Formats: sequence, C-alpha cells, structure tokens
Amino acid sequence: MTRRKRKNIIKKFFLYLFVIVLCVVILYPYFVMFTTAAKDRSEMYALSMTILPVKWKWSNFIEIWSAAPVLRYFLNSVIVAGGATLVAILCGIPAAYAMSRMQFKGKSVFLGLVIMSQMFAPVVLLVGIYKLMTTMHLVNSLLGLILLNAAFNQAFAIWLLRGTFLSISPEMEQAAKVDGCGTIGSLIRVLIPMSAPGIVTTLIFVFINSWNEYTIALTLMSTDTLKPITVGINVFYGFNMIQWQYLFATSLFATVPVIILFLCIEKHLAAGLTAGGVKG
Amino acid sequence: MKKHAIRKKAEPYLWMLPSLILMAVMIAVPIVTVFQLSLSEISRAGVIKGYNDFKNFKMIFASPTFWHTLQNTLVWTVAVVGFSTLIGFVIAMVLNQEFVGRKLVRAIVVFPWATSLIIQSVIWKYIINADYGSLNVILSKLGLIKNYINWTPDANAYFAWECWIGIFVTFPFVTFCVLSGLQSIDNTFYEAADIDGAGFWQKLRMITLPLLKPSLTVSTVLNIIYVFNSFPIIWTITKGDPADRTHTLATYLYKLSFYNGKSGQAAAVSVIGFAILCVCAGVYMILSLRAEKEEEL
Repeated sequence: MTRRKRKNIIKKFFLYLFVIVLCVVILYPYFVMFTTAAKDRSEMYALSMTILPVKWKWSNFIEIWSAAPVLRYFLNSVIVAGGATLVAILCGIPAAYAMSRMQFKGKSVFLGLVIMSQMFAPVVLLVGIYKLMTTMHLVNSLLGLILLNAAFNQAFAIWLLRGTFLSISPEMEQAAKVDGCGTIGSLIRVLIPMSAPGIVTTLIFVFINSWNEYTIALTLMSTDTLKPITVGINVFYGFNMIQWQYLFATSLFATVPVIILFLCIEKHLAAGLTAGGVKG
Repeated sequence: MKKHAIRKKAEPYLWMLPSLILMAVMIAVPIVTVFQLSLSEISRAGVIKGYNDFKNFKMIFASPTFWHTLQNTLVWTVAVVGFSTLIGFVIAMVLNQEFVGRKLVRAIVVFPWATSLIIQSVIWKYIINADYGSLNVILSKLGLIKNYINWTPDANAYFAWECWIGIFVTFPFVTFCVLSGLQSIDNTFYEAADIDGAGFWQKLRMITLPLLKPSLTVSTVLNIIYVFNSFPIIWTITKGDPADRTHTLATYLYKLSFYNGKSGQAAAVSVIGFAILCVCAGVYMILSLRAEKEEEL
C-alpha cells in the first residue's frame, strides 16, 4: 500500500467518524422526543428509567387529541401561518417588483429600511405591540397574529423575492408588453410563473416562521381556544404535573410537517438569502 | 400628458404601498410607542401619565440585575454566534466533501433549523433534568456514570446549557449559507493552487475564506441580530432565574413588563437594546466602507 493511499483511508475514516458523531448529536433530541412520546406515564418517574419505553404506548398519539383542545391549536396555527403567508406575499410581490424593475427616488433608502426592520425583533417591541393591539382591539385575535407575523416577515419576503426577480431577465416581460399586456398582466402572466421556485421558497419560509412563532402569541393570546400550537402545548406543562409523554407526542405532530416542508426549500433558501445580500 | 408623467412617477410608490402600510402600522408604530413609553411615567394599569425626566432609565441603570443582564447578553451573543459560525463552517467544509450518505446528512443538519425554538427548548429541558432526564439515563445505562449528575447546580450551569441550545439551533443556518457560497467557487482556483503546490491551510486562507466572505457576512450579521434578541430558549429553561441571574435583555424586559408591571422600564431596556444594535450596525458600516476603499486602492 502506498503512503498516499493509506493517508486517504485515514482521512476517509475520520470523515465518516465526524459525520456519524454529528448525526448522533443532532438526532439525539428528536430521539428523546419520539421515545418519550411513546412511554406510559407511569414510566416517566420510575426509579429504574429506561432509554426505550418498556412497553410502546402508541395510544398516546391518539389520547392527546382528547386530553386537550390540540386539534383547535393546530387549526389556529394553520390559520395564522396560512394567513400571514398570504398577506406577506401579497404585499411583498408588488414591493419586490418595484424594487427590481423600476428606478425611483428613495429606492436604496427603502431597501435599507427593510433590512433595518430586521433589527427590531418582536420581543423588544412587545410593550409597543401590546399597546397597539389593545388600541386596535386585536388582543386575543387571530387576525392580529396574522398581521404581525406578516409584517415581521416582510423583510425576508422582499429580500428573497427581489433576489429572484433580479435573476430573471426583464426581456420576456417587455415582449409581453409589446404584445399588449399591461404591467400587471406581464407580472402575472410572465414574471410570477417564471419565478415560481423563488416564490414557493418564500411562501414556505414565511409559513414556517409564522408556524414556529412563540413570543407574540404567548403575550397576546390568553383565550385557550385561540392559542396556536407553540403556546398551546403549555397545557401539558402545568406547575406540579408535567405530562411529558403528551407534550412530546404533540410536539412531534407540530415538528414533522415543518421539517419536511423545510427540506423542500433548503437549497433555494440559503442561496436566496445570501444572494439577496450580495446584490445589495 | 403632464398627468401621465405624474402617474408614471408615482407608480413605484403605489406598488410598494401595501408593504409600506403593513410595516408602518405593525413595526414603526410600536417602535415609536416604545420610545414614548420609555420616557413616560406609566401606571400599573398601563395609563401614560406624562414625561418623567428619564426616571425609567435612571431606575434601570441603578439596578444591579440590569448590569448583570447586560453582561449575560454580551456573553450569550458572542458565544452563540461565535461557536455557531465556527462549528457551522467546519460542518459545511465536511459536507462539501464527497461521501456516501451526504444527502441524508445534509437533510439531518436542517432539523434544528426547522424546529420551533420552543419545542427544541422543552426537549432539552427534559434531557438535562437531574432526576429523570434522558442524559443521566443514557450515560448510566452506558456505564459512563454511576450516580445521576445534577447538570444544573447553579445559574452559570443553566446559562451554559442555554448557550449550548442556542448554538445547536443556530449553526445549521451558517452551514447552509457557507455551503451555498462554496458551491459558487470555481474549481479552477483550487486546480491552479494544486499546481502551485499549495497545502490545505494555504488554500483555505487564500481562496476559500476570501471568496466566502459575502456568505459569512450575511450569516453573521443576521445571527447577531437574532441571537441578541432571542427569547424562547432562556424563557423556557429558566425564565431568567435563579435569582434573575440568567436573563438576557429580551427576557429581562419581558419579565419587567408582563410580570412586574413596569412597562416604562421595560421600554427603556428595549431602547438600550436598539442603541447597542445601532452601534454594532454603525461599526459594521464603517468597517465595510473602509474595506471598500482599500479594494479601490
């Protein structure tokens, strides 16, 4: 065996070792979530705890739906995340269109403001947000959550959409205009279909962000039946009695669809985020 | 004809109007309110009773908890962003190699990024529990420990775990930014370097890092903002306790406002937070402008 070959084998060995350790560490919390979700309550505080459930109690995954208004929480999450996505995209597409296709005064100022709005996370504005929502009678309202999530995702939506629009040559739209399409017509018939991958990425990203949002919902939603799932799971987290098995079974339902959605857009997303920054 | 010209000039602004209104109402109005509240005397019922000569700021600056919180926020931001960037970068370099199962590993790295912070935090709270937590159970089953270990004996231990969770959820973003940057680097650079006999570190320093600068800048800037303002992890694990020793500015102002009924002081903490981020933004602008000038020379 030549020295070079041996060196290659050692390199491969460490590569695989690193990757395996990495995967074990990342998957560990998910493993805990899954195995605990399938344990019986009596196993939770037993003196001789086991890693895997002694008896797999799959019925936990059914019991959660009647133990608390979990279905309602999920429905609220779908409404909030879906609504926020719709509003964010309907406001974001025209703005991104103007900023990628038109020249006007204050364009760079506006772009700077959009990026700066990222500095104000909801949590630091909560005192002000709460006051605003009280004035608008939107405390404890799904509409309030929809509008807030849409607003705080505007920056990313515009950033991603503008990057997509800029990567598409305007020639096709000009051709459509020559053929008698108006600006809006060329946007709807040409640009939007051509930038479908970027738009879908934005849609999913805003949806996931709103689905996972916790801080605003925790502060604004006190009526139990209006809570989204991230706040709702707290019912299994009482002061003296934590129902870990239900908590994790519900969390699993809230996590898996989001991870699958995220996997669909992962490639476009990272490229879109960094490209938006580079193109300035 | 003149009418037409005006319409043409106004058009871009009309396109941006929905987005502008949404952000103005939902973000700009709360910002103004926060500044107003920070300068006002506020009753416990939330009624503004007028300007109070920076009393909220004076109270905050006089509080030892605030200074400890500020120190925590600094440690938290630097530790989480720093380690996430380092770890995320190394993992991206590894994922850029050819190996069996690369696609699967890439998918697994997405998990912490996609999972809700609150769910991730609750799981870790369970893992590190001293009495029945999964970490103790696994380590003792593997025979690595005899007795269960109390992983969180004091505030510092709690804070260290919170930083770990922060790193755990933040590094994938860095990894994917770096990976997308790596994919755009032309392979001929490396081929040329190979011919010149450059080693691994030389190639890293002379080719990879300079070309990755835009990707790393985006991920670092965004991460600093997010981590600085991060709330769910610390709130879930400790709520800032024991004895208010594990707060960052975000959890501290939340507690002040929604637990202690001191919205004026909470608003003051918000304003201090903005000020810190603005200083960071300013430093960043100066540095990048200077770098641009150097490139021109």
